[in-house]
Amino acid sequence: MPQPSPVRSTAAGSDSRWPLAVRLLAAVPILLYLAAVVLPPLAGPPPASELAGTILQPFRPLVGLLALSHGYRFFAPNPGPGHSIRWTMTTAAGDQKTGLIPDAEADWPRLLYHRRFMIPEKIAGFVPLPEAPEEIRREAVRDWQPLVEDIATRLLVRHDGREVTLDLIEHYLPDTFEVREGRGGDDLVIPLGRYLWRGGAGE
Amino acid sequence: MKATGASSRPAVPRQGWAAAWLSGWDRFWFTPSDPLLLAVLRIAAGCLLAWSSLVWLLDAEGFFGSTAWQAPENVWRMNDQPWHWSWYFAATGSGSVAVLATVSLVAAVLLTIGLATPLAAVVALAGYLSAVNRAPLNAFGFDDALGLVLLPLAIGPAGARLSLDRLIRPRPAAGLPRTSATVAVRLIQIHLCVLYFFSGAGKLFGASWWEGTALWGAVANGQYRTLDLTFLAWHPLLINALTLGTLFWEISYAALVWPRLTRPLVLAMAVFVHLGIGLAMGMMEFGLAMIVANMAFLPPDLGCCGRRLGSFTPSASSEPLS
Repeated sequence: MPQPSPVRSTAAGSDSRWPLAVRLLAAVPILLYLAAVVLPPLAGPPPASELAGTILQPFRPLVGLLALSHGYRFFAPNPGPGHSIRWTMTTAAGDQKTGLIPDAEADWPRLLYHRRFMIPEKIAGFVPLPEAPEEIRREAVRDWQPLVEDIATRLLVRHDGREVTLDLIEHYLPDTFEVREGRGGDDLVIPLGRYLWRGGAGE
Repeated sequence: MKATGASSRPAVPRQGWAAAWLSGWDRFWFTPSDPLLLAVLRIAAGCLLAWSSLVWLLDAEGFFGSTAWQAPENVWRMNDQPWHWSWYFAATGSGSVAVLATVSLVAAVLLTIGLATPLAAVVALAGYLSAVNRAPLNAFGFDDALGLVLLPLAIGPAGARLSLDRLIRPRPAAGLPRTSATVAVRLIQIHLCVLYFFSGAGKLFGASWWEGTALWGAVANGQYRTLDLTFLAWHPLLINALTLGTLFWEISYAALVWPRLTRPLVLAMAVFVHLGIGLAMGMMEFGLAMIVANMAFLPPDLGCCGRRLGSFTPSASSEPLS
């Protein structure tokens, strides 16, 4: 059996091993940490077992404290289309402004672009597609609208705006056949509402 | 116990199954190792954290303020409050937000250069946790990868070598093999295996990964693209090979990274995949953070590179790896 040991002692001059009592004590936080690492991706995102969710419960404080609540589902189950939020604003002075989140021209350095790119990507996870049943779309509004209100407020504060209209854009993802044939498709636009400064209510 | 012949190995006392497990656990976690590897991880992760902290600071009010992209009262919608602690929840004005973001940046710089390292590592970790727990709308895989390294850096002797601490106050004993260095590196290794396992397992749900077309979905996504690889549309079999290669590598990582025979291949693939993501999809920070985490599988004394580095802050032991 191969020795799974990329960490090895450098022999001479080593400090003595921890005493047995210390090693036994150290095993407790090690095991707790390993549980806090393994349980969150096991318990979510769906589909996930009720068992994993139940076992996770007592670990929630530790998982939260150490920001370990990750699913690690990078580009899974399938890499999907990209998203942007398009905004159209009337400023306090009565001017019209438009913009995109993220803005590839203005959001620099690239890491800042990515931090802002996460905004539409994560909002898109809350917003059902237009073809979803009416009841599902209506119920989802309760989840996404408070988050979109925050985004609208941020834009209004930043640009001294009076009102702003937001749309979520799902960019068309062409397949290899379409690219080879020079074809494409239309982006999907999902209205997210109009928001007034200090009113905060979506229409 | 006697040896039975001239060519026989020395006799080893027989161990029961449970005792063998305990002995393996003990050896795995508590064999002292050179803190040089941890020092290199500290410098690399510290640079990335300092850069990340600077970028958070560029729009500190937008990420952490009262009128941020996500207001403090709505953070619970995306993470498990009140457990996701953040010092930004206590910040009441834009001035205090900027001060806290600056503290994070300073701690990250101190961690990188190894000045007041134990304190800097803890404050840098707190700053990192505060940022990602306060702004879940803006956090992504780069932050996951950084977090994977930062906690072990805070509990291990990250400043024992290659640090200003050791230049200012030379302590030859500080460079000795340390058990806490092993624990810290092991935590990174195990966490990385968990990350790749679930990342690979999650992909098994997706038809595009089985069909070998998933890589195209990443290449064709214009919001990510920094390198135009759409010529791959004319090479579908190459897309298949790259997709399936990535999938197999992720799924098998946790098993194949341990044997010495396969470890170099697995780590080389990690560099290839993560540099590819960094260059083609504009996520260089994420790619580098993952490569830094993979460095936890290098020998703790870094072999011949380590001997050169060791002359900067010499270890008490200059013997090669056994």
